[in-house]
Amino acid sequence: MRKIAFLAALVTCGLVHAQSPTGVPAAIVASVNSFLNSLDEGQRTRVLFDFNDAAQRVRWSNLPTAMVARAGLKMGELSETQRSAAMGLLAVTLSKSGYEKVLAIMEGDEMLKAEDGGRGGPPGPGGRGGRGGAPNSEMFGHDLYYISILGKPSVKDPWMLQFGGHHLALNITMVGRQGILTPSLTAAQPAKYTVAGKTVRPLGAENDKAFALVNALDDSQRKQAILNYKVADLVLGPGEDGKTIQPEGLKGSAMNARQQAMMMDLIGEWAGIVNEQSATARMAEIKSNLADTWLAWSGPTTNGSAAYYRIQGPTLVIEYAPQSMGGDPTMHIHTIYRDPTNDYGKKSAAR
Amino acid sequence: MKLVAVSLLLAISLAGGADGHRLDEYLQATLIGVTRDGVDLEINLTPGIAVLPAVMAEIDRNRDGRISPEEEQAYSTEVIRDLELRVDGKVVPLRLIGSRFPSVEDMREGLGTIRLNLHTDSSGHELRFENRHMQKVSVYLVNCLASGDSGLLAGSPIRAEDQRSIRFTYSFANSSSWPAQGTFWIAGIGMVTIARLALRRQTGRG
Repeated sequence: MRKIAFLAALVTCGLVHAQSPTGVPAAIVASVNSFLNSLDEGQRTRVLFDFNDAAQRVRWSNLPTAMVARAGLKMGELSETQRSAAMGLLAVTLSKSGYEKVLAIMEGDEMLKAEDGGRGGPPGPGGRGGRGGAPNSEMFGHDLYYISILGKPSVKDPWMLQFGGHHLALNITMVGRQGILTPSLTAAQPAKYTVAGKTVRPLGAENDKAFALVNALDDSQRKQAILNYKVADLVLGPGEDGKTIQPEGLKGSAMNARQQAMMMDLIGEWAGIVNEQSATARMAEIKSNLADTWLAWSGPTTNGSAAYYRIQGPTLVIEYAPQSMGGDPTMHIHTIYRDPTNDYGKKSAAR
Repeated sequence: MKLVAVSLLLAISLAGGADGHRLDEYLQATLIGVTRDGVDLEINLTPGIAVLPAVMAEIDRNRDGRISPEEEQAYSTEVIRDLELRVDGKVVPLRLIGSRFPSVEDMREGLGTIRLNLHTDSSGHELRFENRHMQKVSVYLVNCLASGDSGLLAGSPIRAEDQRSIRFTYSFANSSSWPAQGTFWIAGIGMVTIARLALRRQTGRG
C-alpha cells in the first residue's frame, strides 16, 4: 500500500509539472490557498506564522522531529484530502526532479521506520529510540514531516513555505516570481534502497556527478582541489546561519569549460530542487560567479567511497558530508545548500 | 581499558546510528573570526553518546548528574587550558566571553552542543591555533570565517590532517572583493550576540 502511494505521488508530480512556467507564482499561491482552505480554524492557526518570526524561520534540523521539535502541521495529523493538498503545494513549488528527491528522502525515512520491525527500539538513553527510547514509529516515517507558512501567501509580497523533518529541511521564500530555496538541507539514510523493485538513491546524482567531476580534473587541478585533511561533518550545517568561511580548493577559473559545465550540472542538483523558473534565475546567478566558485574535496576519489566536498562561491555554499555514525558512511549522507547573501530571501525581500 | 572498549562497543551497537546521533566521537568544531581588534573563537563541542561518560567525568565533578554554573565555568576553563592560540608566534590569552551548555538529557541523546565564545585582543599577521582537548576521543573541524568589509585577506590555511590545528597568515586591505562580504561582520556580530545572550542566561541562573 505504502509503495503504491509512493508511486502515485510520483505520477501526480508528473501531472502537476505539465503547467506553463509563466503561471508558476500564481499557481503556487492558488495551491497554498487551497491547502489553507482545506484546514479547520485550529489547524490554520498552527500552520501560519508571521513572516518575520525569527524563531520559526530557524526551527529546522537534520535530526528526527522527536529529538528537535518542529512547529506547524504534521503530515500524520492531516486528513487524506489535506495531506494531498499539502503535497500538491510542494509539487507545484518544486521542480519535478526536486519533488521526486523529496519523496525519495521521505521514503528512505519510512525504510528506517520499517527497520524497527515492530521491536519498538531499545529503551532508555543510548537506544535507537528518541526521548525515553521512543520506538522507530515515533522517530521516522512519512507522517513525521511538518509544513508551515510564514507570512501571507501572495504573488507580490514575500512569504515562506517550510517543509521538513528528519533529513529534510526546505525553506522556500517566495518573493514575486522568485523562489529562494536557501538555506535547505537534504540528507539520506539509507542512501540506497529498493521500492517496488526499483533501486532508489535520493542523493545518487549528488554523489555520482561529484565523483565524475573530481575525476575529470588533471593531476595539478586535483592537487589543489583535494584537501589534505579530513572533514568529519558539515561546517555550515543547521544553526550556522549568517556565516561564511574562507573558500579553499580549486577555483572555477582554473577549470576548463567542460569541467565548469560539470560543476554547474552538480550544483543544479540543489539549485534545481525549486521550480524551473526560479532555478533558471538562480543557476544564471551562480554561473555569473563561476570563476570565483571553489571546489574542495576531502577523501578518496573512487566512486563508492565516502568523500566530503564543498562548493563555495560568492552567493553559494554546498556541502556534502557522509556521516560516520556507527555504520557505512556512504549510506548516510547530509548536505546543506546556502546563499550567504540571501538565506531566507533576506536580500530579495528587502528590495 | 577492556571495560571501556566493551562499553563503547555496547553503546554503539545499541545506538545503531540510524537516527543521526553522534556516537563514538567528540566533535569539536571551531570557527575563527579575525578582526583588526583581535581574534574571536566560537567552539562547538558535541559529545557522542558513547563518549559522553568520559566527557561528563570532566564536566560533572561532583557526580550528581547535573551541570552547575560552577561546573560549566570550570569545564570552560579546562577547555581553554587545552587550546593554544599564537598570534605572530606569541601565545596569547583567551578570554571566555560567553558559554551555553545543553541539558544533560540532550547530551545523553547525542544532541547537546556546548558552545564557547572566546576572544583575544591580540592581532597581527600570522595565526596558529591548536586544540588539544580530549584528543583520544575527538574529531575536529577548524575554519576561518571569511572577511567582511574589514578587508581581511587570509592566506591559504595549513591544517593538521585531523584538523586539530591550523595556521595562516593574514592582513587587512581596504578592498571589499569576495570573500570580503558583509557576512564576516554579520557572523562576528552574531557570535558576540550569542555570547552576550549566553552570559545573560548564566547571570539569570546565577
